[in-house]
Amino acid sequence: MQKPTTPQAQQANQQIIKLVNVNFCYQTSALMQDDEAQGGLCDINLSLNRGECVLVCGESGCGKTTLTRLLNGLIPHFYDGFSNVEKTDDVNASEYLQGQVIVDGKDIPNTQLYELAGTCGSVFQNPRSQFFNVDTTSEIAFGPENLGLPESEIIVRVQDIARQMHIEDLLGRNIFKLSGGQKQKIACASVAALQPKLYVLDEPSSNLDMASVAHLKDQIECWKTQGKTIVVAEHRLHYLRGVCDRVLCMRAGRIVADYSWEEFEAIGSKERTALGLRAFSLDELEALEMTEDVAAPETPASAKHVQAKMLLLNNFIYSYKHSDNALSIPEISLPKGGVIAIIGANGAGKSTFARCLCGLNKHFKGKLTISGYCERRKKLGVNACASCSARGKAAVCRALRESSFANAARRKLCFMVMQDVNHQLFAESVLDEITLGLQSQGKDAEVMANEIEEILSSLHLSHLKDAHPMSLSGGEKQRVAIATALASRREIIVFDEPTSGLDYTHMQRVAQNISQLNELGKTIFVVTHDPELILACCTHALMLQCGLAKDNFALDQVGRHKILEFFKHEAAS
Amino acid sequence: MTKEIFSENSEGGLRLDPRTKLLMLVVISVVLTTGGYGQMMTLARPLLAVMPIVLLACSRRYSAAVICSLTFALAYFAEIFLLQFVGGLLNFILLACVGILVRFMPCIVMAYFLVSTTTVSDFMAAMRKMHVSEKIAIPLSVMFRFFPTVRDEYAAIGDAMRMRGISFAGGKPLKMLEYRVVPMMMCSLKIGEELSCAALTRGLGAPIKRTNINNIGFHAQDYVSILLCAISIVAYVQWVLVS
Repeated sequence: MQKPTTPQAQQANQQIIKLVNVNFCYQTSALMQDDEAQGGLCDINLSLNRGECVLVCGESGCGKTTLTRLLNGLIPHFYDGFSNVEKTDDVNASEYLQGQVIVDGKDIPNTQLYELAGTCGSVFQNPRSQFFNVDTTSEIAFGPENLGLPESEIIVRVQDIARQMHIEDLLGRNIFKLSGGQKQKIACASVAALQPKLYVLDEPSSNLDMASVAHLKDQIECWKTQGKTIVVAEHRLHYLRGVCDRVLCMRAGRIVADYSWEEFEAIGSKERTALGLRAFSLDELEALEMTEDVAAPETPASAKHVQAKMLLLNNFIYSYKHSDNALSIPEISLPKGGVIAIIGANGAGKSTFARCLCGLNKHFKGKLTISGYCERRKKLGVNACASCSARGKAAVCRALRESSFANAARRKLCFMVMQDVNHQLFAESVLDEITLGLQSQGKDAEVMANEIEEILSSLHLSHLKDAHPMSLSGGEKQRVAIATALASRREIIVFDEPTSGLDYTHMQRVAQNISQLNELGKTIFVVTHDPELILACCTHALMLQCGLAKDNFALDQVGRHKILEFFKHEAAS
Repeated sequence: MTKEIFSENSEGGLRLDPRTKLLMLVVISVVLTTGGYGQMMTLARPLLAVMPIVLLACSRRYSAAVICSLTFALAYFAEIFLLQFVGGLLNFILLACVGILVRFMPCIVMAYFLVSTTTVSDFMAAMRKMHVSEKIAIPLSVMFRFFPTVRDEYAAIGDAMRMRGISFAGGKPLKMLEYRVVPMMMCSLKIGEELSCAALTRGLGAPIKRTNINNIGFHAQDYVSILLCAISIVAYVQWVLVS
């Protein structure tokens, strides 16, 4: 091999990524819109040296995902787009993309995707959908197999990687039975098996809990010490502190700032939130708590007079087939009208708790008792609750201050806004979606129409009422789901990971929606790993560990501190 | 020790070559659904029906094996002894139920066994050994990957429907189907897209001879199964010629 002699040649050899005047614009069909795909790219000039570890950040739709897709070749080989040039029939894919994209000396538009496999390894956002095989060992071997490496070498590679990443115990398992964090580990391992020079990670932490995020951090650090180049597009910044040495901030398809990490942290939290970014670190959140004296979210007026009222959960014990108790809470009481954060590591029973609460688990015997419930329902003039109508007398109802709900009754009382909202949108327009299943209540049509109008405008959905739910953005879909809950008069609304993969601005919007619901007197449960969301809108916390209620406290000054300690401990473990 | 990790079925139990399983599926389907009774078939039919159940038991799916064998034994018994004692409409209904059970259940059990015990990677290896083109092999293997996904999505959508109080009780079966299928297609589409991205960036579709670390091959258990299949085929051919 010839040694590079001129300084330019040496520099070129040092460079692994070179983007010159890149312009790109997606060609999206109306139905497949998602928030990230909105962002094209504009005048991108970038060069990265070997061994650099770079964070790409910015609010949703700023183009950071697009940038990662450019580096791993998915653009232009998988995602079509069009440049500002008029598209004609005979242009090929590479012409939609303007400018030069060179990764490790390869001109991306003219290189086939499979030729890039050994150069650029990609880890994606959703652990559920990035594995091709059903068992872990074949998944790790999948990449090298595709490249046609000899069998003996593949076996050596798989074993080396398993040892390096301490995942020997995960080999030979069914991937569908792994947790999200374990799946993401397998995804990292299967990429590492290709031994790429460049790793591109697109929001790899958005579906993970703190402990898994810490593992991810270790993994990135390990690649860094091996001298690999790493590009991470992320909203959550705290785990990349001390890992990334360069930060690119993007807005509307352009790179607006290029900082070192120290410079980046020096911009302060005001500027950071303006860029739509999450906290730099948990310490920063704590410092904010201390200095700004952020008042704990005020208990809304409507909630105050019901403060004494409690939700009493009895016999919340549930186990799945062939396993120990996933949830085991004999009795617990929670404030009615509060915003209750449910926290705990993956597998602590959070989702099981939420499903049991909503009455979705068959053969679950637990009960929910609300004190003072009947009295309020009476005032509102709504049908008496299940247990009262069973007695058949309104008089009994007034006297009865407690009513309890078994599974089927809870399905009418509670509503879950699922993590993947796509699962719960059925109708052809937003208005149909909200009225779906309401007819059975037999209310006056006009009253109902007014009520729905009100709900729509309060959630800023009025202008979208004829749109197809699937054509909306992620945040809008979530609000439609909330609207259906309000229209069917649910008292308890459960959010399952409402802010996974959201930037600061969108997270704040979700927090506002939750606070707004709370002002209407609803009791809210939020299953989450997101400390910022908890601090922004929750009033109470329930901490689960191995299916047991480990702690149950109000989020006053002390409670908020406790929350931060919990997340720090999680991240350190 | 290294060989163990890579060649043993993680779930334990009997390991058959995917090609044997495919052959058995074809033979069972053809012989049981199109064949009748008489001569050697009287022997071949129960043999073929029992095979998938034995396989289930050997792969430690005991509860499924017990349920299947009871159902089949009952149906078989009814077909042979019970049918002659009832008449009229009841006979017709019973005949239909029993006929479907006896003819189709073993096929379904075999298909379940095939799908649940074959890894994507084994399947791809088998396809290569049979010289099936990648254009057919890759979509088929994606299908294997998709069964569990579709099941998860289906369950999640079912939960959402129950929560909204949407059920068949509403009396609009077509609408119900739409509510089920549309979100599922949207989700599958998205997952499919993400899946393709992950697979393509890891070099799927390269025009290179793909290696496969799964050593598939025929062993004693495969030869026994193939022999039993051959006997059934002989019985079937004889039955066809005679009738």
